[in-house]
Amino acid sequence: MHSLIQLSIVVLLLPLLSFVILIFFNRRLPRRGDFVGVGILGTAFAISAYIFWTVIVQTYDPAFRVAWNFTWIDLGNVPGIGPLTIKMGIVIDNLTAIMLAMVTLISLLVHLYSTGYMAGDKNYGRYFAFLGIFTFSMLGIVLSDNLFSIYIFWELVGLSSYLLIGFFFEKDSAADAQKKAFLANRVGDIGMWLGILILYSQFHTFSFAEIYANLAAGKFAMSNAWLTAAGLLLFMGCVGKSAQFPLHIWLPDAMEGPTPVSALIHAATMVAAGVYFVARIFVLLTPDALHVIAFIGAFTAFMAATIAITQNDIKRVLAYSTVSQLGYMVLGLGVGAYSAALFHLVTHAFFKACLFLGSGAIIHAMHHEQDMRWMGGLRKHMPWTFATFTLATLALAGLPLTSGFMSKDAILAGAIGFANVEGGGVYYIIPVLGFFSAMLTAFYMGRQIWLVFFGESRTHLKPADDHHSAHHAHGAHDAHNDDHHADHGVHEVSWNMRAPLVILAALSVFFVYSPNPLDGAQGWFMKMIKTPATVVASYQSAVGSGHSALKELPSAEAAGEHASEKGEHTFADPRQAELAHTSHAAHYTAIYISSIMVILGITLAGVVFVFKIIDPDKTAETIRPLYLFSLNKWYWDEIYQATFIRGSLLLSKMLYWFDRNIIDGMVNGAALIVRNVAFANNSFDKYVVDGLVNFTAFSVNTTGAVLRKLQTGKVQTYVVMLLAVVFGYFVFYFTRLIY
Amino acid sequence: MEHLVPIGLNHYLTISAFLLGFGLFAVMTRKNAIVVLMGVELILNAANINFLAFSKYNGGMGGVMFSLFVIVIAAAEAAIALAIVINIFKIFKSVDVSSIDTLKE
Repeated sequence: MHSLIQLSIVVLLLPLLSFVILIFFNRRLPRRGDFVGVGILGTAFAISAYIFWTVIVQTYDPAFRVAWNFTWIDLGNVPGIGPLTIKMGIVIDNLTAIMLAMVTLISLLVHLYSTGYMAGDKNYGRYFAFLGIFTFSMLGIVLSDNLFSIYIFWELVGLSSYLLIGFFFEKDSAADAQKKAFLANRVGDIGMWLGILILYSQFHTFSFAEIYANLAAGKFAMSNAWLTAAGLLLFMGCVGKSAQFPLHIWLPDAMEGPTPVSALIHAATMVAAGVYFVARIFVLLTPDALHVIAFIGAFTAFMAATIAITQNDIKRVLAYSTVSQLGYMVLGLGVGAYSAALFHLVTHAFFKACLFLGSGAIIHAMHHEQDMRWMGGLRKHMPWTFATFTLATLALAGLPLTSGFMSKDAILAGAIGFANVEGGGVYYIIPVLGFFSAMLTAFYMGRQIWLVFFGESRTHLKPADDHHSAHHAHGAHDAHNDDHHADHGVHEVSWNMRAPLVILAALSVFFVYSPNPLDGAQGWFMKMIKTPATVVASYQSAVGSGHSALKELPSAEAAGEHASEKGEHTFADPRQAELAHTSHAAHYTAIYISSIMVILGITLAGVVFVFKIIDPDKTAETIRPLYLFSLNKWYWDEIYQATFIRGSLLLSKMLYWFDRNIIDGMVNGAALIVRNVAFANNSFDKYVVDGLVNFTAFSVNTTGAVLRKLQTGKVQTYVVMLLAVVFGYFVFYFTRLIY
Repeated sequence: MEHLVPIGLNHYLTISAFLLGFGLFAVMTRKNAIVVLMGVELILNAANINFLAFSKYNGGMGGVMFSLFVIVIAAAEAAIALAIVINIFKIFKSVDVSSIDTLKE
């Protein structure tokens, strides 16, 4: 076994150890054992950092890969299924090494931050235990080398997400939110499982490497439509977990969980697991499937951005921003900008975690006030939070010199290249939506910064009864003294909450990833993570207009040579080669357009909120239908309420009726028939059978009564009878003789 | 004494039939168990007369022998019957056969 594999197993199991210790013994440990969680995660991060150092810095090889697996379950040849062997294994490549370091780092920072944020909570120990099980499952997803174990860990992160969203389960809204998240994820996971089964039915293996080898060898016996279906079904898992349209509805509600949890699970890691999973299965996705993925990503990015504009809850803005950014990543994968999408995954994880932890610091300082309308002026009270939050905001908006700028532009360049390759007007919707979302992102983040940090405190503007209900809703935080006004109590948070903010903000600057702030492709990340060559030789058949593979080949080689002249990755697949070429060509176009869009968005935010040239309230009145449409989140919840939930209720009512009247009717009818037959039987028994028996008894009785009279018991009667018989005999006999 | 009819078989049989009739009458009608037994004796003796009459007519000694046996058996029967009557009296305090009807149970 490779030493890196051994180390990664240790990293995987450490958070599980933390979970086991804390779930059973937290009440016996001083400080409820929070130091156990932080310490273990610190160790895990140290080992992960070593793995990262070895793989990325020392080896520095885009094709680096070590793998190890063992047979977990061997059922032999199962009738009707074929050979059924389930292997578990670990694969470490560049992506795994980066994800490992990212997940453990953010988890460590969130642990540290939570020691401040969650202090005084009555379930403090349990909280750290849940963080442990979550980190364990997330690392499991990252390290898995096969679909089966990824599915197991996939469900485990779903469980830990469920537990942590509903951490304040005394609140109805939190309990509802956790149910909603679990059910929405369930829909996606069913699809994912079906996709896994399609692949398994073909190859009898769950292992990624074996599936791809088989696919590349052309062993997929069914039509390409099935492969597209398998890809899209697997993508459904990502739709659920990464909150893509149409299953995005759970993520904003998941903000009912503690804010550090929102940072760890619902911004940085778990929701990115969907994107990570699509990246893992990227090579088996057919162009058709990728088109669907690209459109879903673009639509999600745009829709969530429009919703984020009007939300008033500080965490909800960030939640919709997360949905929007995840849409970007999915879009990136859909258009084939593989490394750009994963680059955005990592940069987004850091700056969005920073934003969430920053909002947590604000909420903490404001005594659990989450509504931005009653904030304002926090810049003076919380300089550290303000600085880090602003830096992360700039990264999210995608301003030059930040990490978000590089990754987002790489995705948008890929989108332009994609539209050029596809050549159809409808495909330009994707980059257009992408650029428009970039502007909206800049706008809503500018609004947030302004509402929260600038101006004067608006705490006193808050309606009094609203104020009280907000306080009492947080029954879990009784430790805080709620009597004084927020602006009196606002102060910078303690060091253990400040340090994570600073580290995460530092990781949002460009030089961490690339020496050239304008081009992420020159950085180590995009050099280490290269788009893998597709194993689906399907472009020709997908286009299907009589082009043979041979005809396409020369142009493909030409494109490949062209790319290799520039020191780029070469692809055997003509479509991938062309995509790589065009997106590279579109790089500067993307930079110009997106910079203009971002500046436009920030300017607009400044015009509306800083200089008040346009009054936001009046504008909202003027375009009231649009404003309400955005404020009510495109009415998705209402639409689902009216269709799926009402539909399910209606269906269950119908089934109830069916059960009541048809099934029960059949049962009752059968009972009625049986009852009547039994009644008839009873009558027959009573009157005919019993009648016969009684009649026999009656006849015997009557005969006996008659005959009894003959038996007087007197000897002389018997003598008379004897004589009578003898006499009768003689009479009979002699009568016979005479005649 | 020629005009007198000599005593023949029919006379014996007639006497025997009368004896049997009296015996049966006694058995069927008398209430006293002792009298019933006496009726039985009459019946037996009617049979004896028949045996002797037929014996005389046939000239053999078989009938005589049979009647001797009947007399012996009649003696034994009388002894046993009287013993039964005594026991009946002990149990029922009566020898009235019409009042003893426990056979019916």
